[in-house]
Amino acid sequence: MADLQQPPVLDIRGYSLDYEAPNGTFHALKDINLSVPRGEILGLVGESGSGKTSLAWSIMRYLPKNARETAGTILLSGEDLMKKSVSEIETMRGKRISMVFQDPSTSLNPTLSLGTQLSEVLTRHRGLTRRQAWREGEAMLARVGLKTPAAMMQRMPHEASGGEKQRVVIAAAFACNPECILFDEPTTALDVITARQILDLFVELQAETGVASLYISHDLALVARTAQRVAVIRRGEIVEQGPVNAIFAQAQQAYTRELIAAVPDPRRRLVETRPDVSGDALVKVEEVSVHYGRTGFFSSLTGTRERVTGNRAVSLDIRRGEILGIVGESGSGKSTLAKAMTGLNRFEGRIWFDGRPITGLKDMDTAYRKDVQIIFQHPDASLNPRQKIREILSRPLKLYGSAAQLDQQIGDMLERVRLPRTHADRYPHQLSGGEKQRVAIARAFASRPRLVICDEITSALDVSVQASVIELLLDLQKQSDTAYLFITHDLNLIRQIAHRIAVMYRGDLIEIADAETIDSPDRAEYTRRLIQTVAPPAGATHPSS
Amino acid sequence: MSASYILKRLMMIVYTLLVVSLIVFAITQILPADAAVMMLGENATDEALEALRQSMGLNAPIWMQYGQWLGHLLQGDFGHSLRTGQAIGPVMFEALGRSMLLAVLSIGLMLVIAVPLGIIAAIRRGRIADMLVSLVSYIGVSLPEFVTATIAVLVFADLMAWLPPTGYVPLTENFADGLAHLVLPVCVISIILIAHVSRMVRSELVDVLHSDYIRAARMKGLSSGTVLRRHALRNALLPTITIVALDVGYLLGGVIVVEEIFAIPGIGRQLIVAIQARDLPSIQAGVLIMAATYSIVNFAADILYAWLDKRIQYD
Repeated sequence: MADLQQPPVLDIRGYSLDYEAPNGTFHALKDINLSVPRGEILGLVGESGSGKTSLAWSIMRYLPKNARETAGTILLSGEDLMKKSVSEIETMRGKRISMVFQDPSTSLNPTLSLGTQLSEVLTRHRGLTRRQAWREGEAMLARVGLKTPAAMMQRMPHEASGGEKQRVVIAAAFACNPECILFDEPTTALDVITARQILDLFVELQAETGVASLYISHDLALVARTAQRVAVIRRGEIVEQGPVNAIFAQAQQAYTRELIAAVPDPRRRLVETRPDVSGDALVKVEEVSVHYGRTGFFSSLTGTRERVTGNRAVSLDIRRGEILGIVGESGSGKSTLAKAMTGLNRFEGRIWFDGRPITGLKDMDTAYRKDVQIIFQHPDASLNPRQKIREILSRPLKLYGSAAQLDQQIGDMLERVRLPRTHADRYPHQLSGGEKQRVAIARAFASRPRLVICDEITSALDVSVQASVIELLLDLQKQSDTAYLFITHDLNLIRQIAHRIAVMYRGDLIEIADAETIDSPDRAEYTRRLIQTVAPPAGATHPSS
Repeated sequence: MSASYILKRLMMIVYTLLVVSLIVFAITQILPADAAVMMLGENATDEALEALRQSMGLNAPIWMQYGQWLGHLLQGDFGHSLRTGQAIGPVMFEALGRSMLLAVLSIGLMLVIAVPLGIIAAIRRGRIADMLVSLVSYIGVSLPEFVTATIAVLVFADLMAWLPPTGYVPLTENFADGLAHLVLPVCVISIILIAHVSRMVRSELVDVLHSDYIRAARMKGLSSGTVLRRHALRNALLPTITIVALDVGYLLGGVIVVEEIFAIPGIGRQLIVAIQARDLPSIQAGVLIMAATYSIVNFAADILYAWLDKRIQYD
């Protein structure tokens, strides 16, 4: 627990940071006051662009050339980091203050073994020989819960799973027993279950070592589960900070309350419609299997075939006006199914759409495409950056509807997704992430589809933006009675909005259950594990345990 | 690296060479040259020509001629030159040896200069050193080798008289003199490669230096030098292997020009002589040997790359 007798390990006082840009000065951080005593985890929560990562780089003394520090001090155990020379900082990084990054697949060098990347910290800061460092590294890997540490040291990053890699990164961060560690969204790039394990590991190591931790995240629910105190940052300013329970129980700032309200909570159902259960289902998926991997020229000569199964004989149906959620870890085959249904993947088996058999791409004619639309995860990748919004939205209108009064129609579409009509003249890069996803939604709805496949469409968005996009989708659904196939890894979110939930695991459909009863103890073992892993968000009704 | 990966790549070479042999054979069939006329001269009688064609198998169907030619090739028999009547194989391979010496020296010189230049430019990105390297590279890239060769001969051989202008002396005969004869051609070939490769090294290194794992390495407290040496350089230089191997393709073409200018009896020169004399079997052999060289160099590059970057075999 936090030791309040001693001075804080990390102490930031009145710190301000500007970036000089060609079009003026950008105030990234304004008068930041934060302190983390030994043994404490301080959560720093903010949306993207709020300045939370800038603060991390300020602490690590790794700022771009156009950064200007206009005021304040950053103290590590009483020493002013801002007064240290480059070489002094280099001897402190990794030894007295270290950092864990968001995505272990990019923060590890792909061409060096995991052992090399772990032991180099030890040779650098603890003066060990390579051999000693290697042995010490194995011990560290055992400590972070890796089963075969000696073998893991030898492996290359691509030979380890995301969770294993993040454990190696954490081992490196803890290797020299630092006073302070910064965690920058360390579980965002991981699967639900893996993320939970990594979080548990972090809490355990933190308690063991008492290291002062700054845990940076956009996910308030996640921070609430790990941190003792939370600071909320918005547009470069700390708007509120205090103990987790106090913040959840009685947030002083409207912005904090908004953030709390935006956290998906399965106890609060958002969907009001009921699917039409009379008559036949809109979509019937019968024994659909997808295999990846082409048979290459030489493989066909030698007769070897390597096939990876994406879906194994999946059968399900979607009713008219239903929201069917599909949850699963990455690699569980949920997106594969979406791709099969839109003709992006070959499949075996059969799909019935409104009584019509669809056996492959050749059956997916314009009528089918008009009825079945898909929205992707990253609007940056799915909107053509060289086209104005007007052009992007006019395509489906010309293809499926009438091109008459195009401007009028495009304006109406933008209004339906609650964007100003004037956005038609903008390019995608002039819009925020949430706005771009709204454009993608407008495009999908342009053809008045009967089924919209949403493939992780909110997972690249901030929690608060996600909430508003979800609200929009539910509104559109109420107006148009469109069915949704909503693919996500966020179990709490899907429990709020789906009528039924399909659980997938490694290509298999485990089960389909009503959203209201998905947490019943009769569910399949894997479903129960998922539910347990993703406990409902902490807060007033869920004191920190 | 798995054996199947190597096997796959080897199969690829066999396949490539088969296609090349087909193309080479087809082209020489289209060329307006009659082997019999070439051998007996313009004044030969029709009977004599016909008899020769018969004995050379020139009247057989084309696919049979191709089959025979390929069969001989597989036994290492490239046929005999129409011009000199000598066996082509030994002549071509001896010439190839000289060209390879030229190529290897050029690539070596290029690497020694281009890689450090690229590194300096990347580290000092946007500063004077970077701009200087860029400027020199652009000049190097834009000058064709016959221009640089002419200037080089003019300045260093004619004006200064430091080096012999043209000719070739085997290193085994007179090492110093042989080397002196190689200096100018090697420099001329290197210049264009230096420009190309240094720009490549620069852009790769700039990319790598901006990657997350470099930042992560810095955050471990490693010094800039260690980060550069251990984490950045290796990854930045990997694609250079492929580029250099592809440059061998340019080298084979460029060598023809340079060998001609400096009168080096390499494979490029042999090919030019063969083309001028319409010596069909020699042309076929020359082109095939060049294609094989190119394939084998790229094969070696692939293997080297896969050995250095362990991810490759999974692709």
